[in-house]
Amino acid sequence: MSELESLEALESEAREAIAGADGVQQLVEVRARYLGRKGSVAAYLRGVGKLAPEARGPAGQAANAAKQRIEDWVAARRAELERDATGRSLAEHRYDTSLPGAGAPHGRLHPLTWVLRDAVEFFSALGFSVEEGPEVETDWNNFGALNFPDDHPARDVQDTFFVEGGHVLRTHTSPVQVRTMTGRTPPFRFIAPGRVYRYDNDATHAPMFHQVEGFLVDDRTTFADLKGVLYAFARHMFGADTELRFRAHFFPFTEPSAEIDFSWPGGWLEWGGCGMIHPHVLANCGIDPDRWQGWAFGMGLDRTAMQRFGIPHIRHLFEGDVRVLEQV
Amino acid sequence: MRVPLGWLAEWIDLPASRDELMERLTLGGLEIEDVIRSGPELAGVVVGKVVECGPHPNADRLSLCRVDPGDGEPVEVVCGAPNVAAGQKIAFAPTGTRLPDGSKLKRSKIRGVVSNGMICSTRELGLGDDHEGILVLDPGAAPGTPLVEVLPGSEPVLDLEITPNRGDWASLLGIAREVRAHFGGALRLPPLEPEEAGAAAADAVAVRVEDAEGCPHYVARIVRGVRVGPSPDWLAGKLEAAGQRPINNIVDVTNLVRLELGQPLHAFDLASLRGAEIRVRAAAPGEKLVTLDGQTRELQADDLVIADAERPVAVAGVMGGAETEVCEGTRDVLIESAHFHPTRVRRTARRLGLHSEASYRFERGIDPEGVARAADRAALLLAELAGGEVAPGRVEARGDALPHSDEVRLDPARVNRLLGTDLAPDAVAELLERADFAVRRDGAELVARSPSYRHDVTASHDLVEEVGRIHGYDRIPTTLPVVALAPVERPLRQRLVERARTSLADQGLMECITFPFGGPADWERLGLAADDPRRRGVRLHNPLVEDEALLRTSLVPSLVRTAQQNLDRQVDRVRLFEVGPVFLAGGGEEGLPAEPLHVAGIVTRGDKPGLWEPRDRIPLFFLAKGVAERVLFDLGYAGWCRPADEETAEPYQHPGAANRIGVGDQVIGSVGELHPEAARRFGVEAACAVFELDLYALARLPRRAPAFREVSRQPSARRDLAVLVDRERSAGEIVDAIAKTAGDALAGAEIFDRYEGAGVPEGQVSLAFRLVFQRGDRALKDEEVAKLTDRVVKMLAHRFGGQLR
Repeated sequence: MSELESLEALESEAREAIAGADGVQQLVEVRARYLGRKGSVAAYLRGVGKLAPEARGPAGQAANAAKQRIEDWVAARRAELERDATGRSLAEHRYDTSLPGAGAPHGRLHPLTWVLRDAVEFFSALGFSVEEGPEVETDWNNFGALNFPDDHPARDVQDTFFVEGGHVLRTHTSPVQVRTMTGRTPPFRFIAPGRVYRYDNDATHAPMFHQVEGFLVDDRTTFADLKGVLYAFARHMFGADTELRFRAHFFPFTEPSAEIDFSWPGGWLEWGGCGMIHPHVLANCGIDPDRWQGWAFGMGLDRTAMQRFGIPHIRHLFEGDVRVLEQV
Repeated sequence: MRVPLGWLAEWIDLPASRDELMERLTLGGLEIEDVIRSGPELAGVVVGKVVECGPHPNADRLSLCRVDPGDGEPVEVVCGAPNVAAGQKIAFAPTGTRLPDGSKLKRSKIRGVVSNGMICSTRELGLGDDHEGILVLDPGAAPGTPLVEVLPGSEPVLDLEITPNRGDWASLLGIAREVRAHFGGALRLPPLEPEEAGAAAADAVAVRVEDAEGCPHYVARIVRGVRVGPSPDWLAGKLEAAGQRPINNIVDVTNLVRLELGQPLHAFDLASLRGAEIRVRAAAPGEKLVTLDGQTRELQADDLVIADAERPVAVAGVMGGAETEVCEGTRDVLIESAHFHPTRVRRTARRLGLHSEASYRFERGIDPEGVARAADRAALLLAELAGGEVAPGRVEARGDALPHSDEVRLDPARVNRLLGTDLAPDAVAELLERADFAVRRDGAELVARSPSYRHDVTASHDLVEEVGRIHGYDRIPTTLPVVALAPVERPLRQRLVERARTSLADQGLMECITFPFGGPADWERLGLAADDPRRRGVRLHNPLVEDEALLRTSLVPSLVRTAQQNLDRQVDRVRLFEVGPVFLAGGGEEGLPAEPLHVAGIVTRGDKPGLWEPRDRIPLFFLAKGVAERVLFDLGYAGWCRPADEETAEPYQHPGAANRIGVGDQVIGSVGELHPEAARRFGVEAACAVFELDLYALARLPRRAPAFREVSRQPSARRDLAVLVDRERSAGEIVDAIAKTAGDALAGAEIFDRYEGAGVPEGQVSLAFRLVFQRGDRALKDEEVAKLTDRVVKMLAHRFGGQLR
């Protein structure tokens, strides 16, 4: 009887202690005090072992039942405490969440980098590899191999920066054609984006601008193919309803040659030049023009970037004005 | 080349639609740069409607009108003309218009009433002398229309850009032929055969070509008894519409015929030619000539001149001489019409910096069959306009054979193979014939002879272009190529460049692109040593501005300038980067410079720290260093940043706040705060730190190779040590020494605190290190960790004088 009484006392003491625990940590301690290996219930059970054999069964059952009840009270109290904590957190934890995030400051890529990457991605998907060439070029690569005769008015059109040693700042990306084709056997296709220079610095021109050169040589490709690729490129860059206009033009390194305009709401804007690679250029690069034919284009990336980002003047691209750059 | 449409219509019937005309010319390769109006510049003056017209309240002879300038919002205008009336369409100049006399119209009060513009008379418009009344326009004119579009006598003028291969387009005749190629029709040539009288021309002058290469054909015509004076209005008007200034009837005729036929002409005062002789010869070296523009020209042996018996009188094909110029007293004129060698003319014009209408056409090659015709036409006009008498006969001389057109063979299938078209042989032939080619069949092939004025068609691909051009590129189909698959290569250095850009933008820097021009002043600002290889910049022969005659050897100067410009614009906290080449003399193949691609960045401090910007409390140097380290990491390199000193720091970096950056044993760049002197020389007031890396050097170095290392399952032990050391000691050095001392069991050592100030003796600094011990094969015992830690503490005391805190 006395054991049972003491079990009841133990139970009600535990019940009080559980109710009085006002934190999860405290509750864990209370539980350990009663239900732990060295806790009161365990001690009681050890006492049961000393009882007469016939008394052990009922006493053990009573103890296990009490243990289960205490366990339930702990669980209930725990749930209660967690509910309270959540309620407190919801009630008290308040930020001014209109404050800005604390990540790294926002950098920007240059508008030209965006269009350059876009162009590279487009042509890579069509199987064009990217080639490079130097910006200071030999006269041969920039002019001679591209079928510009010496002392010919065609050279005047390309207002050239002349560099010591008889070199030039390349006036177009076409010298990369020469570098890339020389020593290779068709079929092949490449693009060559890069900076080019013209001796020009007025209201609408900058002395430096950017082109993406592209060329494909095999035994069958046509001017119609050139049109098709440029249409696809234009629509990738400017939108699906973009129209192109191919105007006959003269370049020494292509024949037939065309200048290309793209449509925009205000009319036509000049985008670049293109044509079938002149047989002399192929021959100058060691490619038999009777066996192979190809086309090439050079499109203005600055104009592309200006159109895409609504930049009214080319000088904005090269002034490094943060107030402009951060609009991209 | 300016082509007034009315004038062009005299040569050939134009299509009814001007838009269609312009469209076909444009697509055919005649770029229309602009459509302008002949007549005076009247920008801003518009058609206005006089809505109301009443008396001026304060003046009897003035009217007060309300004028609608086309926007439906009438303005009050005071007018003094007696003929103004309500309902009229008039020429209205709003306030702010610049009038032909150069004055700018101001808003003004006239007798107490504000006048918002002016109703113009013909004199105010520079159109005539009538000042009695205002110009009353056609009642059908729409208000708001620019006045030039409704003025009688004003016509549209095409401003054409002519490609260098088509010199034949530089004439009315040439453009008329192009119109014919697109639209058909017949050319109407002006009268070409003069009536002749008096003594034969050959009696007046002898012509000799002594430089046969320079002058394949020379024709002289003599017109006697001219009276020099102003040209009639029709002639002056045509020249003005074409953008030429009328001078006198003789010169104007030569200019007119050049515009009509494309053949440059020159008129000599016959009496001033000595020895009644024209010699076309090479100049004697050093020979001098005063040209029409009053300049004395010193000639060289390659220059071709026209000379009389004694001296040069013109630079052939470029410009005439002043002494033999037609002047008021000239009575007899010699007209020169000749074919000069294109390259000879070009070289001389270039050398003398003298590009004339004549040299422009000779350089591009003129029609060899048009030489005599132009002389005849000019003689005819001189007789008609200057009252002269054309001497019978031309005086001619010839040098080398004139250029002539060969036959070119063309397989019509080749046209389709190149263009992607499906044109029948007949269609190909017809297109060529429209372009004035004489075409005949030879089996399956076509044989085409180009017209005498075309010098640009010598091979079958030239014919293919001509076919495509006349057919219209817009009518060529649009297809995609059918090609064999090939792997797309993207070399490492291209990938590195793009990754560097992404890394820097992700870290909060903005990308800029600057021009690569610089000059010695930049090297001075950077403080480069006299023997620094970056002083050997590559030189431009024709820089835009003289102090930017070199190509840059570092990205830093332009980046610093750009940062400063932003600070000047009150941009707070500038963080910029640029990726671009630098140019190192003689480092490339074929004598070209080396062009390593660099990446550089600059960070400046903001005026005040932002709310969430703990970064702003970190010294600038470490911000920049962190950015550079991150770039190296993102590019896949296990690089290092090591302290630089006075010896090794970049001269433009503060030696107390600079690192050299490298991979393995190669230095590939630097990072540091701007040296105070360099900052002063660049005019930068804000503190800033810069870094610059050579991406191409990086691309040649080995990258971090990913190699799997078993992760230890054993527990690790952490020990924190705070040590007082001399403040000159470098933490990096101590960390290296700890690693060496602790050996294999040390899994990591890092510095986590640096403190000087209260509680730390003067001249010392407290450095706190976290040591993590762990072995892969077994758990470490406490005693082992204690022993290792003790060894480290002893080492710190011994080597660095470090005392535990």
